[in-house]
Amino acid sequence: MDKQRPTPPSWSTKFLAWFLKEDYYEDVQGDLEEEFQLKANGSSIIRAKRWYAWQIIRLFKPSMIKELEAQNSIEKETTMFKNYFKIGLRNLWKYKSSTVINVIGLSTGIAAFVLIALFVQDEISYDRHHEHARDIYRVTVKNYTTDGDVSRQWAFASAGHASRLKEDYSEITHATRFYAWAFPDLNYGDQEFLSEQVVFCDPDALEIFSFEFIEGSAETAFPDIYSLVLTRSKAVKIFGTDWQEKGIIGETVTLSRDGNEAPFKITGVMEDMPDQQHFHFDYLAPIRFVEMIMGEDVIKNVGGNYNWLTYIRTSSGADIPNLTKDANDEFWDKYIGQFQSGADARDFYDFEFQPLLDIHLTSNLEGEYETNGSIDQVYIFSVVGLLLLLVACVNYMNIATSHYSRRMKEVGVRKVIGAFKSSLVKQFLSESLLVVVISVPLAIILIILALPYLNDFVGKQLIFNPLIQTDILIGLIVLMIMVSSMAGLYPALFLSKINLVQALKGEQSMNSSKWNFRSFLVTFQYIVTIGLIFAIGVIESQMSFIRNSDPGFDRERMVSLSLPRGDYSNETFRSELLKHPNIEKAAFSSRIPTGRLADNWGSRFFKGDSAIATNFRLPVVTVDKHFLDTYGIDVLAGENFRDGMETNLQQDTVVAGYYIINKAAAQALGFKDPNEIVGKKLGYGPSTGRIVGVMEDFHFESLYSPIVPTLFLTRDRYRRISLKLRPENIRESLDHIESVYAQFDPDTDANYRFVDDLFNEQYQQEERLGSMIKVFAAIAILIGCLGLIGMVGFIIETKLKEIGVRKVLGASSGSIWMIISNRFLILIGIAFVLGLPLAYWFMNDWLENFVYRTSVSVVLIFMPAIVAAILTLLAIAYQTLKATKVNPVECLKDE
Amino acid sequence: MKEYQLGEFEEIVLLTVAILHDDAYGVSIKEDIETRLKRTVSVSALQTALRRMEKKGYLKSEFGEATAIRGGKRKRYFKVTKTGKAALDYSKETRMKLWSAIPDVSFEYSKAWISNGLLPLPGLPNS
Repeated sequence: MDKQRPTPPSWSTKFLAWFLKEDYYEDVQGDLEEEFQLKANGSSIIRAKRWYAWQIIRLFKPSMIKELEAQNSIEKETTMFKNYFKIGLRNLWKYKSSTVINVIGLSTGIAAFVLIALFVQDEISYDRHHEHARDIYRVTVKNYTTDGDVSRQWAFASAGHASRLKEDYSEITHATRFYAWAFPDLNYGDQEFLSEQVVFCDPDALEIFSFEFIEGSAETAFPDIYSLVLTRSKAVKIFGTDWQEKGIIGETVTLSRDGNEAPFKITGVMEDMPDQQHFHFDYLAPIRFVEMIMGEDVIKNVGGNYNWLTYIRTSSGADIPNLTKDANDEFWDKYIGQFQSGADARDFYDFEFQPLLDIHLTSNLEGEYETNGSIDQVYIFSVVGLLLLLVACVNYMNIATSHYSRRMKEVGVRKVIGAFKSSLVKQFLSESLLVVVISVPLAIILIILALPYLNDFVGKQLIFNPLIQTDILIGLIVLMIMVSSMAGLYPALFLSKINLVQALKGEQSMNSSKWNFRSFLVTFQYIVTIGLIFAIGVIESQMSFIRNSDPGFDRERMVSLSLPRGDYSNETFRSELLKHPNIEKAAFSSRIPTGRLADNWGSRFFKGDSAIATNFRLPVVTVDKHFLDTYGIDVLAGENFRDGMETNLQQDTVVAGYYIINKAAAQALGFKDPNEIVGKKLGYGPSTGRIVGVMEDFHFESLYSPIVPTLFLTRDRYRRISLKLRPENIRESLDHIESVYAQFDPDTDANYRFVDDLFNEQYQQEERLGSMIKVFAAIAILIGCLGLIGMVGFIIETKLKEIGVRKVLGASSGSIWMIISNRFLILIGIAFVLGLPLAYWFMNDWLENFVYRTSVSVVLIFMPAIVAAILTLLAIAYQTLKATKVNPVECLKDE
Repeated sequence: MKEYQLGEFEEIVLLTVAILHDDAYGVSIKEDIETRLKRTVSVSALQTALRRMEKKGYLKSEFGEATAIRGGKRKRYFKVTKTGKAALDYSKETRMKLWSAIPDVSFEYSKAWISNGLLPLPGLPNS
């Protein structure tokens, strides 16, 4: 019986005591307590508590509430609040300039903060919609060098990993691979869709991820290997907008590649994959199909050939660190054991299971399926957003406290009449609330105006509508309360503690040379300004560094286009184009620089007669013999592809193809001197060939990724042609290209692109994010400056007499300017010392993300402080000039 | 006789107070109604009814003893006053008058339902 008695929620009891007629309170509360105890002992305490609170809420009705006349204090309070708001409004009206500064500052601050919050919220919501999101992991593989360093970490795993992991570890309940089987063409009736992104997956995929089916279901998706699930937008593309009426389930489409084809039945239609997902597939088909085409050897592979995007789902609450450890301890020994060289395979590979929810923001591995977001970006934006809000609040604080000389008498009179300190605090808090209440609608208008630009900028579809999105509405209200208390609390405390006698005497209670909280606020303002200017500088210099870096290939006046459809010889097409005198060079290839190195067929390097699968990814581009010359890429060793090679190849009894690799590939294969690798045997894809040349490294992909080992081979199938134009009369050359294209393929247009445009597009996303940060940082700086100008104005106004006296005694405007500026320059100095290391540390972190990055120059370090100083001096100069122009008599006469 | 008006819930509460006689306070009244009539009663509704009838003079109340389970708060015991008794009598009387005024035909169709076993048998009006 000595058990701890359950207690009802105390806030409810307090609430009851507050509103219930005193006469009723004792027995009603007793009744409630008694029944609560009964209920708490009988059923659950939580339910009893809920019941208790609910009963009290229901008691809150007119017949139970204390008589209003008795509520003397409430009435007094409301009258006082009316008075506060009246005085507040009058003050806002009287000091229009500071009101405008405050409202502009707060509304832009709030608007920018909300916009950033929307963006951040979107970024962190990736992949959360999957029902089992918390239990899904991506299988990634780390490769180690012989020295034990991580050489690469792959976003992909090998073909054989998924099934073996699932079999061996009971925690792994599901496993799937996704394999984008080199873009087959899709035929339906007489329609042809070229290079469709069909992704093949294990049946488990539909139990791991929650894809939303419109037609068909996850259970009936893959009855046999010829099943195809497609997204809504693909259904519209192939079957038209009325696909749903047509009943496309069971329709047959044909997938073809390399002259082979297979009929697939449509078994389901999914909703398009949501934007907030780190991969987007248009078609899903059973991976068994690919396995059967590729053969058992490929499927069994557990080391290398990382092309299989692999995900597992674990039982909930599985111990992942332990699972990872077990897998790494056992898997490699069990399935690979030792290499031919005698080394243990386990020393060269490691699994890492990446939580699904971390992929979008934190993963940047080799061959990510799509460009991921970055957690750094989210951090930077969050920091900038918070700073914006803080700067706006600090502005308000600064300006409100600068007002103190004006409000001192009012405060004094109120105190004499009998105002408590608490009521003065309430008064000033209600004034800040008033300003915020005026600012929020403005902020909402700003948000609505700016959101389309932001969406355009970051390529998202963010929505802002507080009328529908209750979370946003609640957020806005919370924000309003937070901002008004954050901005208002210090002025309220500061103004309410003014000494009564001093206040009424009109004595300056704040000695201007004293260090006080406001100096701290101003310093903070400067720290933020200096930090943000520095950040802008670093971002800008990194961007221009990337923009101006040489990618290692010629992109000037280079035009590229997809090949026309139909039957023709490549050579005819090429020679037709080259007939024009201003088209200088032409080359065929499967992909062009600025594209992605997505094709990898798997490679084996020969040491003597024995082939060893390479432990790095070696993507392939098929090019013709003119490619290197057209793009201006040097051959370092060996030779370029050339005429007559085919005959050589026929005589060559050992190999079936010739390859050119880049320097990075030669190094990855262990050859420091490119000359030594020329002539070596290399297995690539289905055939074995010989390395005939080594080319200079160049940035096939963007400068955000390092140069990877790459292999070029010649083959008759290409997708694109690149044309180097002469500078003269480019328009005419383009017309020629169009007319030749039309001869070969009258139905479609030549969709040519300038390679330098494509090159710039690679950096567009980063540039846009960079400029977005710049815009927001600039807003923060402007708000800060605005506040500074306002504050300097007020300080000078309170010092008008001092200025007058100084002038009478013969001081010049310049020396007065110096006196006032001095103090601010000291604050800037302090802010520089404190703020810059912080900003440097933060931005250095950001720079680390780039493989190729700029260094932070001295100019960049000192520029922010100089900019801040100049801005301050200008603001002070403007206000001082205004003040010193006044005849000293004007400001001295009223004493 | 307008002053004897009782709402349906008020009547139930008043009757329950009468039934409980010396032991009628918030929790016991509520429990009694809940068990006897199989309906849940909110504290708010019960208190409203009690206080209103106290104001009308049908009920009187006094503080009783405090117990530990009540967190040391006293109970308020309710008793039916003479006026309360009169109001109950009046309400019963008016019901009776109405019941006896119903012609037998009105029950015929419901009898059919009952003979089929779909409805329970009604109690006799003057028992």
